[in-house]
Amino acid sequence: MKLYDAIIDVVERHIAPLASKVGAQKHVRAMRDGFIVAMPFIILGSFTLIFAFPPFDENTTNSFARAWLDFVAANMDQILMPFNMTMGIMEIFVAMGVAYSLSKAYKMDGITTSALSLMGFLLIAAPQSEGGLTTAHMGGRGIFTAVICAFYSVEMFRLLKKYNITIRMPEQVPPAIQRSFELLVPVLVMFLTLFPLSLLIQNQFEMLIPAAIMELFVPLVSASNTLPAIIGALLLCQLLWFSGIHGAAIVVGLLSPIFLTNISVNIEAFVNGQPIPNIFTQPFWDFYIFIGGSGATLALVILMAFSRSIHLRSIGRMSLVPGMFQINEPVIFGTPIVLNPILFIPFVFTPIINAVIAYFAVHTGFVGMGVATTPWTTPAVLGASWGSGWTLTPVLLVIVLLILDVFLYLPFFKMFEKQMLEQEGPAKAASTVGEPVSA
Amino acid sequence: MKKILLCCSGGMSTSMLMKKMAEAAKSRGIDCEIEAMAVAAFEDAIQEYDVCLLGPQVKFQLDSLSEVAATYGKRVAAIAPMDYGMMKGDAVLDQALALID
Repeated sequence: MKLYDAIIDVVERHIAPLASKVGAQKHVRAMRDGFIVAMPFIILGSFTLIFAFPPFDENTTNSFARAWLDFVAANMDQILMPFNMTMGIMEIFVAMGVAYSLSKAYKMDGITTSALSLMGFLLIAAPQSEGGLTTAHMGGRGIFTAVICAFYSVEMFRLLKKYNITIRMPEQVPPAIQRSFELLVPVLVMFLTLFPLSLLIQNQFEMLIPAAIMELFVPLVSASNTLPAIIGALLLCQLLWFSGIHGAAIVVGLLSPIFLTNISVNIEAFVNGQPIPNIFTQPFWDFYIFIGGSGATLALVILMAFSRSIHLRSIGRMSLVPGMFQINEPVIFGTPIVLNPILFIPFVFTPIINAVIAYFAVHTGFVGMGVATTPWTTPAVLGASWGSGWTLTPVLLVIVLLILDVFLYLPFFKMFEKQMLEQEGPAKAASTVGEPVSA
Repeated sequence: MKKILLCCSGGMSTSMLMKKMAEAAKSRGIDCEIEAMAVAAFEDAIQEYDVCLLGPQVKFQLDSLSEVAATYGKRVAAIAPMDYGMMKGDAVLDQALALID
């Protein structure tokens, strides 16, 4: 157990305090909370996409499928409208949501800064042409730009306020009018800094700022699709959870721009009928790796529900339904898994094994790439299918992984159960005699 | 009437605890309102409540949230991991009530 002690020591002394700082940091929190604002719209957008691209073969003879396909072919633009106005312009939601969340952290007016951020983003990402705003840079490839724009607008406004840089009106001017002039300065600064920069970059590199920023982030985004990066993110998430910190909130908070970029590039390819490029998406993380929540604990919950230990059995049964909806705090804290040396190995490594298998399953084409953002509380079998555009193989993969997870947890569970039974003592154990184990 | 706010990352698991606490309060005849939310909603919500309890998984935000709560004269505390995991409505209700008085 020397290695375990060493790992716990590193986690408690170094990783946990750092993660706490990162997780509580204003910009990280604003980013995470801002994405949560955008999420329902993105989910609606992903959801409606399936109506435009039903999972049937083009040459199907099934009359229902045929009718659907024909209807879609005739009404494509109308069917895609809900998608275009949500997922297709998700950066607008992100730019406003992140600015709102950050301004709240600074106790500034949320609606003003959101509007400021929106203006800045549109200014650099949506040059008007022939009477319309182009949405080419609003569908996921401009996520990093939207986040940067939100940070910039709030921080700039905050600095102007701090140094009291504003248009001063004579005393007699009513306060409401004074306030409207107050906002004029940040709007001007926003315009005067971003617009010339945008024109310069268009001139020099013949691209818009979002495209230029995306170029900068390409290495990060493509690195995220590799197995070592996925395992690294997972390891951090699991070690944090093991020490009692909501690892997923922190890691996913940092990963969310990558998840959204990856899924939107996938959707773009899907819509255009091209090969879909990105493996690492939110449904991959939620439904293949974390079946039943962080740690893939649904397998453990199933074992616990049939345990001979009263404590484990009651936690297990209480956690079955929440576990199916990917919620597992009762298992993590009640068992407890947190700082439990016996459960350390399966808790940390089961999700990693799931990730490796799922990675190759996607890589070889056995299951499809993620093309939909789904609520993370969707039961894993459903969510996996939904995430890949309602195909069947993901269901199979989740079931296989779940069965495998049961066997991975089993020996450690048995060890822990034995310990629990000894603690519960012969008196309690005797009281359960006669009660069927599988009840 | 006492108003208790529970916060965790997404307000999901605290909503389970919220139900257990409401049951405990009802059986003891205590008049209180308990609400579970995502910790992101904390700053806007805390004014409306008498006390806030955090799920142990977001305990790392205790210091910064306590600062905010203190400006309204409210208190924030973290729920003990075991009480949380076993969804002990009674014990957590006691903890909340003790912080209000």
